[in-house]
Amino acid sequence: MKDNITSSTRNLPYWSQALLENWGRLRRNPTGRLGLILLLAFALMAAGSFIPPLVSPIYNPMHGVDPVISHTSGPSLKHWLGTDFIGRDIFSQLLAGARVAFMVGITAAFMSVVLGVAVGILAGYAGGWIDTILMRTADMIMVMPTLLVVLMAAALFGQLSIWTIVAMIALFRWPGVSRVIRAQTLSLKQRPFIEAARIAGASHVRIMTRHLLPNVLPLALLYMTFRVTSAIIIEAALAFLGFGDPTTVSWGMMLQWVWKTGHMFQAPYWLLPPGICISLLTLSFYMLARAMDEILDPRLRRQGES
Amino acid sequence: MSLKRYILRRLVEMAIIFWIIQTVLFFLFHLAPGDPLSRMVDPGMTHEEEMALIEQLGLHEPLGTQYLYFLGNFFRGRFGISFHYGQPVARIIAQRLPNTILLFTTAVILSALAGTWLGKLISWRKENRVDKLVTTGALVCHTLFLPWIAMLLLWFGAFKLGWFPVNGMISPELWVLPRTTILEKAVDITWHMVLPMATLFLIHFGSYLLIMRSSMLDTLTEDYIFTARAKGLPEKIIRDRHAAPNARLPVVTSVGLSLAFSINGGALTETVFSWPGIGRELVFAVSNNDYPLALGCFLLIAVVVLTANLVVDILYGYLDPRIRY
Repeated sequence: MKDNITSSTRNLPYWSQALLENWGRLRRNPTGRLGLILLLAFALMAAGSFIPPLVSPIYNPMHGVDPVISHTSGPSLKHWLGTDFIGRDIFSQLLAGARVAFMVGITAAFMSVVLGVAVGILAGYAGGWIDTILMRTADMIMVMPTLLVVLMAAALFGQLSIWTIVAMIALFRWPGVSRVIRAQTLSLKQRPFIEAARIAGASHVRIMTRHLLPNVLPLALLYMTFRVTSAIIIEAALAFLGFGDPTTVSWGMMLQWVWKTGHMFQAPYWLLPPGICISLLTLSFYMLARAMDEILDPRLRRQGES
Repeated sequence: MSLKRYILRRLVEMAIIFWIIQTVLFFLFHLAPGDPLSRMVDPGMTHEEEMALIEQLGLHEPLGTQYLYFLGNFFRGRFGISFHYGQPVARIIAQRLPNTILLFTTAVILSALAGTWLGKLISWRKENRVDKLVTTGALVCHTLFLPWIAMLLLWFGAFKLGWFPVNGMISPELWVLPRTTILEKAVDITWHMVLPMATLFLIHFGSYLLIMRSSMLDTLTEDYIFTARAKGLPEKIIRDRHAAPNARLPVVTSVGLSLAFSINGGALTETVFSWPGIGRELVFAVSNNDYPLALGCFLLIAVVVLTANLVVDILYGYLDPRIRY
């Protein structure tokens, strides 16, 4: 199987071969495999979120109200997980929440990692005052509690849309990534192949994009996985506090409805699902990231195998 | 001497960072849509009150002068008057800040102590069943969604068992009695603090345990551990005296790095348990468009985060004598 992968990918550049090889290792790692399976389950939920509204308009997560039930009700055949305070189906909300969580988590993480990698490579490669300014900025942003910063933005600019929230999370979550990428760049910069490229007449931009970027990519991927977790948590917390996008149904929003309508003590069937989903989804991304960490850090790999 | 110089340098850095935060906030307040004046002056005020406040905060001056006023006002504790409470923001913050610090520092210190202690013990049983169970548990704790676990604890501890109060920090009926002693008051606060503390503890404990465990495993490969073994020292001494003190350092670093994250958690915990702290006040102020209060709380939280970072760094130097500033 492994030979198969290597032979079919022989024509690919080195870095994508390395990625494929690591993917194989990831699937063999027990933590990584469990994380992947859980993620797959959530992805199915997200994909399945389109089905209930098609079955009947009463299953629309936002507007669908059961004509008979207009209050909270426990699980039944018609509503597998029960209904919320105005008779909306909790199960369809849960599915829609999975879609929102993936969307928010992955886009925010991707944006923050792109930003972090760009800043990290630039700072590490350029050095000097560019490095100082970029890293000082990173330090400053790193100490800011992102949730409270977004709250402040909500105070000033009113209701934030889901994409503004995503952009803000990305804007405040890159410094950690850029620190790591910068350190990696600093060590890569000393390697002979960079010098060879420079002598061959490669421009700075080319060295950064063609020689440094592919080498920091696995690390960037690892950090992206960690960032997905924090982005999901921040969005959920924001929605829980009542500052989410009111046009989307997220898990944090569901928890806010439970809390604000005072059903916390009466309706455990409503309180449990969204919380379990947020916790499990972040756990699965976290497990995936830990497994990737073990694979990328050979020191840890030996530990894991012993 | 060198420590003094280091602290001085860090204080200057802190001041610069804080100045940047203030500047950004000031300009955002002026750039955001709407009338900047209406953000600092409550529409419900009488004309005289309004004029006095505008005079005090320098809101009638040109933008440049207003900016200088704004910077100066922070150090004079003038944040304006809260719309909701009708009281100076500084007074409200002064009441709330100790509550936050009490809850937050107790929770962080307790979870760091417990996490390092258990992480230390667990690392000694590497790869057996207890280790697997505890590390998995810690991993799960670390990824729990805070408001949810807070609500679950509330549901269980305050509703199902009925052992703990549902919200707040004190039982007012006890505090109005003239004969209540200080001890009774302390017990009352502790009793109210159990559930919010448990929430913060659960969230932080796991990550400290994981870091301590992996750091201990790193330390065990060092030469001085080998030497200690060769000398024939008992395992307990090697673990507690030789390995643990060094392994503790990464935990301290992580406390510092995760501080911003912990502050988020603190605000959420305070909100769910109605703990009268500064984080809850910020959330409340933002929900009610109480701009002066929100601004004051945010700036104060920034000061708290920056100071706590400094404390962690100094502590690091104290724990690791090899560090020279």
